[in-house]
Amino acid sequence: MHEMSIASELLRTVLAVAAEHGAARVEEVEVQAGAMKLIVPEALELAWSVLAAGTPAEGARLKLTEVPIEAECRPCGRRFVAAVDGFACPGCGQADVEIVAGDGIILTSVVCRGPDQAEGP
Amino acid sequence: MKINVVRNVLDASDALAAANRRRMDQAGVLCINILSAPGSGKTTLLEESLPLLGEGVTAAVLVGDLQTTRDAERLSVAAGQVVQINTGSGCHLSPSQVAEGLDALDLAGLDYLFIENVGNMVCPAAFDLGEHLRAVLLSVPEGDDKVAKYPTLFQKADVILLTKIDLAGLLGYRFERVAEDLAQINTAAPVIRVSSTTGQGLDQWVNWLGRQRGVRK
Repeated sequence: MHEMSIASELLRTVLAVAAEHGAARVEEVEVQAGAMKLIVPEALELAWSVLAAGTPAEGARLKLTEVPIEAECRPCGRRFVAAVDGFACPGCGQADVEIVAGDGIILTSVVCRGPDQAEGP
Repeated sequence: MKINVVRNVLDASDALAAANRRRMDQAGVLCINILSAPGSGKTTLLEESLPLLGEGVTAAVLVGDLQTTRDAERLSVAAGQVVQINTGSGCHLSPSQVAEGLDALDLAGLDYLFIENVGNMVCPAAFDLGEHLRAVLLSVPEGDDKVAKYPTLFQKADVILLTKIDLAGLLGYRFERVAEDLAQINTAAPVIRVSSTTGQGLDQWVNWLGRQRGVRK
């Protein structure tokens, strides 16, 4: 249930973005979750709804997209799309990789409503 | 209004982890994050191997558990310094908890810091604590099929210890199954077979630790 920690960091990030834009309410949040982070969407949504309660993000929808894992083979340098249970390089067969994508949690948009909405982009 | 951003949600967590790592680098401490399921033998491995590190080599342990100071009490015999972190309901250690642990330790003159993470094969794998290396334990009684079941844990391992191998014959353990799974997940990490009961393999683990320290000096 590391989704609780991630939801907590997400909320902090979202509220910071909302505050920077003078928004009063957050209505929707878009997040790209790397497959390496093993996020269970229902668990993240539950944690989000619990933590967001009583904040300007209360009731905000969470739109979650999973980002596939991209790996770079250390022995041969080949880049390939890995699976969560398969990191063997299609070129040289070694499973010795640097994860170059799909290991992060990225906030990509926040839909807000606020007193100075007219100033928004 | 829709605000488009690109913000790494774990930026604050990763920054804390990086600060922990800098702090240990400055003090010349090599930090190993030990991850595994509960009951795979993390504490016993440390109890049995810390005394083998060698004359004048110093080690501290930050040990995370939901409750109790039992592990810290056990480890206080073998380790020079031990700090117990109780996470309450938290299923993994966070970099801020490790930072607090570092505050409680005297890092000067310390060679190794072992972080004994909360026993869990999923959540701890997702968080950088500021460690230099990750050691993942898999005990024989857990079964020979766990590498494929918890791949991300093993993918991020710098060394893999198969523990309680004195039970392998009794349980019909298939080492080749572990090797087959690792061929898809991680071929870079050495696999060391150990038994903290018989002492088998502890020398290889201690040698590995010594080499890692040598590389970073």
